[in-house]
Parts: sequence; C-alpha cells; structure tokens
Amino acid sequence: MDSGKNIVELRNVSRTFRDFWLRPTVKAVDGLTLDVRPGEVFGLLGPNGSGKSTTIKMILGLLRPSGGEVSLFGLSPRSVEARRRLGYLPELSYLHPFLTARETLMYYAGLCGLGRSEARKRTSQLLEMVGLEEAASRVVAGFSKGMSRRVALAASLVGRPDLLVLDEPTSGLDPVSTKEVKTLIKALSAGGMTILMTSHLLADAEDVCDRVMILNHGKSVAEGRVADLGTSLEEFFLAKVGDIEHFRLAPFLSQES
Amino acid sequence: MSACGRSASVVKATALEILSEPVTLLVLLASLVLAVLAPAFHYHQFGEPTRMARDAGFSAVFTGGTVLAVFATIRSIRREIETGTIEMALSHPISRGMFFVAKACGAFAACIVFALTVFGVSLTSVAGAAVGGAIAERTGGIARIWGPCVAVGMAVIVLPLVAAAAANRLFRFRFVLASTVTAACAAVASASWAFSLDPAVLAPYFLAALPLVAFIAVFVSASAAFAVRFRANVAAVCSGVLFAAMVPFAGNYYLSDALSAGGSVSWIGAAVPFAAAIPAIAAFTLLGIGWTAERT
Repeated sequence: MDSGKNIVELRNVSRTFRDFWLRPTVKAVDGLTLDVRPGEVFGLLGPNGSGKSTTIKMILGLLRPSGGEVSLFGLSPRSVEARRRLGYLPELSYLHPFLTARETLMYYAGLCGLGRSEARKRTSQLLEMVGLEEAASRVVAGFSKGMSRRVALAASLVGRPDLLVLDEPTSGLDPVSTKEVKTLIKALSAGGMTILMTSHLLADAEDVCDRVMILNHGKSVAEGRVADLGTSLEEFFLAKVGDIEHFRLAPFLSQES
Repeated sequence: MSACGRSASVVKATALEILSEPVTLLVLLASLVLAVLAPAFHYHQFGEPTRMARDAGFSAVFTGGTVLAVFATIRSIRREIETGTIEMALSHPISRGMFFVAKACGAFAACIVFALTVFGVSLTSVAGAAVGGAIAERTGGIARIWGPCVAVGMAVIVLPLVAAAAANRLFRFRFVLASTVTAACAAVASASWAFSLDPAVLAPYFLAALPLVAFIAVFVSASAAFAVRFRANVAAVCSGVLFAAMVPFAGNYYLSDALSAGGSVSWIGAAVPFAAAIPAIAAFTLLGIGWTAERT
C-alpha cells in the first residue's frame, strides 16, 4: 500500500461524449478534482446522470478523459501495473452466461494472474463467503439478480485488490444481503483496503463511507468527511442538489385528482 | 503469472463459449453429414471414389470452418462489448491488445476442434471409399457401397449426441460441449481405425489439410477485427466480402490433386499457404488491436 500517497487522483478532469461526426453531445464530467486516500471508504454520490459512472470508468481506464489527468497508484489507469491492484464491481453484474459460478471466479482469477491451485482455493473461499457453494456448478445464466450480484462481488475480490471500486454495490440485493455487503465493506476497510463506491442509497453510504463527494451535472458540489457533516447525509445531499426535479408530478397529480 | 498465462484464461473461456453454442453443433452436424454422405450419394464417381470422399471432406472443413470462424468470432466479441463483460475483463491486469489476441486465439481453438472432427470423419469416409471401390471392381457394382464406413461416420455423428444427452441428464454436463468434444474424439479414433493407425499414411492427409487451417485463421483474425469496430451485421458483411474475394485462392481441388498425384504432400507445400496467410493474419490482428485500443 502506498501510505501517504493518494491511491486515486483526478486533476481537473473532463469528459465530453461526441457523436459519429465528433460533435459534442454531452459533457458528463466537467473539471473534476478528487483524491482517494489509502485505507478510506470514499463515496461518490449524486443524482442520475451526474457523472458518477463516467468518473469511475475514467478511474478504471475504460474511458479516456477529454481533459485533465487521472492517476491510479501514481500510474496511468490504462497501465497493466495499476490494474494489478484493482478490483471492480460494475453497476450491472456483467457475467458470462455460459460459465458456472466457479468457472466465472476461476476466469477472473486467471486474469489476475493467480496460479491454478491458488485460484481454486480462492474461488472456494469466495463462493463460501457469498453463500453460493451449492450453486457453484450452475451456469450463471439461470441465476437471480441477487445471486449474479454476489458472484460479481466475489469476482471483484478474487485478486485481493488494494483498491476496490464498487459501483452501486447493493443494487439488486435484498435487505439482508445489503446489510451483509455493508458489513463486508467495513471489514475490508478495517483490513486496510481502500474502497471507492457510488450509491443512490444515502443511508448505505452514510453507514460505510469515511468521506463523500457529491456530484451534480458532472461537477463536484460538495466534499467532506461524513462525521463532520453535522446533519444526516440525506439532508446534506438534498441541500446541495435539491433543485433537481426528475419527475413533473404536479400537473399529473392535479389532473388525476 | 505472465501476460500469456493471464490471457490463457480468456482463450479458454472463449473456446468454451463457442463450443457451448448450439449453432456450433448445428454447423458441425451439417458439415459431418456433408463429409460422410456427399460422396456416398454422388452418382458420378468417375472411377475415383476416394477422391470424391476426399473432396467432400475438404469442402466440409473449408465451408463449415469458414462459417464457424466468422459467426462464432463475431458473436463472441460483440457479446463481450454489448453485455459489458469486456469492462470487467479490462479492469483486470490484461492489456487491450492482449485481450483481443486472446479472444481471437480462443475462437481459433474452437475452429480447430471443429476442423479436426470433420476431417477425422472424412478420413473414415476416404478409407471406406477405397474399400468400396475395390468391392465394386470385383462385383461390378457401383462404387457407392462403402456402407460400413458410412455407418461408422454416421455413428460418429449420432453417438456423441446420445452420449451428451446421457451426460447432461446424469451429470449436468453441457450438452453441446459434451457432444462436440465426444464427436472430436470419436472422429479421430475412427480415422485412426480406418487407416490402421499408420502415421505414414495419415500424415499426408493432415499436411494437405493445413492450408485450410491457415484459411480459417485468416477469417478468425479478420472477423475479430471487424467485430471490434462494427456491429455484428456489418462485421458479417465485411467478412462475407472478404470470403468472396478469397475463394478463388482457396480451391480444395489442388489439395486432392496433390494427394492423387504422388500420394503425399511435402512440408514445404503445406507451409507455403501458411506463409501466404501470415501477412493477412498479422494485418488483421494489428487492425483489431488498434481498434480495441481506440474503443472508449
């Protein structure tokens, strides 16, 4: 672990999506600067379309920033060396439908460079951890959303990463599994792992995050330690982005009544 | 573990994916039926039943191999991109270029299993044609009577399906994968039996088939590159155009000619098509690596 150095650094990062003719269509991230420090749980919060997933994809090296600099462990996020220490749980559980749960974990263990016997041991350990030993030999195509989520979570941990990036980690999980995931995040953090997560569920973020940043329209509107907010995260969040209105309820409700 | 070791994981998963696809079994069965039955039901043998059997085998490997190479490679890569599994993979310590190459190698490995199966069965048919021809000369009958070897060929088609159904029922093995692998083993076993396990006799046939393997490799690399850049239907059209352009250079008949003329094919004769294919494979691979790096 790089004690003292930031694990993730974004400096004035922007990302503009363009159409086929290279005309700009949307500026998803605009001049964002953030640091994720070693050992902390950092929450990236914001309403839909605020640029959270785009930011995460730039941190993972899956998207190139249009401007600014991104570094992961002091390296380019596209470098193999940086990604050696990374675990990623995407918002949707992207799994190969033709592989069984065990084969899925073996596949990612192979990508992480684990030897065969070590991969087998780690796979069994993680399948036990997510409670899928019984279903280990079933292809994931037949799994429920919650089961797929647990397989994806296990896959993100297979390489014993130093930085775990969780995009909506409790999405699709029932309350019991949600509570267990939060317990797991706290335990991993206590063990020294750095965690960067996004969530729409502010109560979940409040429970596990040390620091949060709130994004709106691709820009940072607030950043700070959860313990220093002096109010609940939900109140703080609504105070910062409360002007947003996804639904136009008033006309509809007046007509209905 | 080295980069090659890490990419082996992708190669294995891709081959498994393609061999588990129902369409793979469909193409395989169609090619096997073509290889076994086409010479048997061909009325005009021109006194060369073994050559007819050989041509049917080469044609089945060539046609089926190309169809599988194009379809399976495009489908596998587009599925990675469209379902987002590529994002999970690329968040691991594997470079984009290596990932692309590994996907292409996995598709090629599946095509090799296919080619080996069809070619093994066609060799059984070739041996049967020789026996049938000899019987026909003695009895004055037509040279369509190599019934025992057609029966063996059909058994190679039917038995793996029965075995796979049983394995699926009893052990929950994947049906398509089990039947494909069983068919490959049965094909090699029956070809070895038909040629009395004589490597000296078998080797020329395999050498003659190598140019077809080179041809399939070109299509795997081209389809992989197109699939990275274009949607599946556009990529398939691009591969189809390439196929049309390359067909004149890929006649099966000179392979049969070589075997008929001297009964053997030299290593150099087999290596030349490979040497010709290497620049095309390299060009498409570089194109695919470039397009993969460009994505995002």
